Amino acid sequence: MSAGLRATGLRRVVGGRTLFEDLDLHLPPGTTLVVRGASGAGKTQLLRALAGLDPLDGGALSLDGATPESMGWTDWRRRLRLVAQDPPVFSGTPAELWERIRGFAALAGAVDDPRPLASSLGLDDGALNRPWSALSGGERQRTSLAFALGSRPDVLLLDEPTSALDEEAIRAAERLLRGRTCVWVTHDPAQAERVADATLWLGETP
Amino acid sequence: MTGPIELGPWQIGAAASLVLVNGLLSAWLRLGMEKKLLVASARSVVQLTLLGLVLEPVFAAGNALLVGGICVLMVVLAARAATNRSSRRYAGMTWGGLGALILGAGVTAVVGTGFIVQVEPWWEPRYLIPMLGMILGNGLTGISLGLDRCLQQLDEHRDRVDLALAYGATAWEAARPVVAESLRAGMIPILNSMSVVGLVTIPGMMTGQILGGTPPLQAATYQMLILFLITAATGLGALLAILFAWRAVFDGAGRLRPERIEEV
Repeated sequence: MSAGLRATGLRRVVGGRTLFEDLDLHLPPGTTLVVRGASGAGKTQLLRALAGLDPLDGGALSLDGATPESMGWTDWRRRLRLVAQDPPVFSGTPAELWERIRGFAALAGAVDDPRPLASSLGLDDGALNRPWSALSGGERQRTSLAFALGSRPDVLLLDEPTSALDEEAIRAAERLLRGRTCVWVTHDPAQAERVADATLWLGETP
Repeated sequence: MTGPIELGPWQIGAAASLVLVNGLLSAWLRLGMEKKLLVASARSVVQLTLLGLVLEPVFAAGNALLVGGICVLMVVLAARAATNRSSRRYAGMTWGGLGALILGAGVTAVVGTGFIVQVEPWWEPRYLIPMLGMILGNGLTGISLGLDRCLQQLDEHRDRVDLALAYGATAWEAARPVVAESLRAGMIPILNSMSVVGLVTIPGMMTGQILGGTPPLQAATYQMLILFLITAATGLGALLAILFAWRAVFDGAGRLRPERIEEV
């Protein structure tokens, strides 16, 4: 049994194209693995597969020694949290979405209030009560990070989570995420340098 | 006067000649609909004549197996029509539509004749076949609208479903808003027609009964019964069709598999 997230021999083929194969990774608790690679190298696909949203074409996953099959995929997805680069736009407000998320049986209401998290990311108090369609890309990213953290995942799967933020908000996000267990996709070499405990290159290594 | 005035070929011909006016208009405005009008009119004549010819001996024979066979054929054709109208498909969709119509429309029609009208026997063709026909005709619209909305939402708004799944939602929790919205879409036509019935429209069945000599209040009572049966069947049928679709496009691990939805 090993603590943290472990993946061995991962393989993913999309539309006849092999995005990755024989991919191993180990993420000890409290560390950040930065994933880098050219556009189309399969970074987002890797995060989605780790999150249990897409099927794998080979390989095995485990979290603290338990496989998704043994704990059930719903529980697996509860423990890992994918934060997409472009959060989907819902009708209604973020606050309404949060109410729905809180109600998911797997979370069992064991969540933290996302408002202080949102505010530490520089989001004003009213933002969560404005319609999604009225929020900017940066506000949506901050909302989605605050929700992800508020839902107390064991592992965060971050797909360029700060790409639409200004420098100040980026630093605030990095401070909030420090010490958490993260797989972090970023195109920004300076950010990779700041947050990485280890780096995984997909595709050609420069 | 107790019975309807019998119509002969010349009356039908006279009515059909009115459609000729549409044909002339189409030719004048270059709508290109002349052929469609002709084919649709000819189909109506052939199909309805055949129906009349088939129903007459079926009503006379009073054979349960024969009635059952006709009902099965009606449900199968309705299932095909309901699923063919959708702009997206999943593998096994016709079976889903068939199951939804059997459980939604079939059961409702039997409840209508056997338990509510209390026809003896419950499969008496003069009651069961027209009732089933009315229920299927309306139910398949609700089913096809509901199915279409469901597959469209799951296909176009995959990211919303995935977000819910990514927070540990079950497949049902993640799809629930889509199921609810699709069911609403499927129910809209019947709810709309219920709200205007008797004010703006006199439904076909009631018209037929009045022309056949039934007192209007009696015809209205039958129409109420059939409307309630249609509404129940549409709701149940659309919900089942949507649930079958939901089951088909999520996999055993609770993931949405949009590649199982095919645009046609």
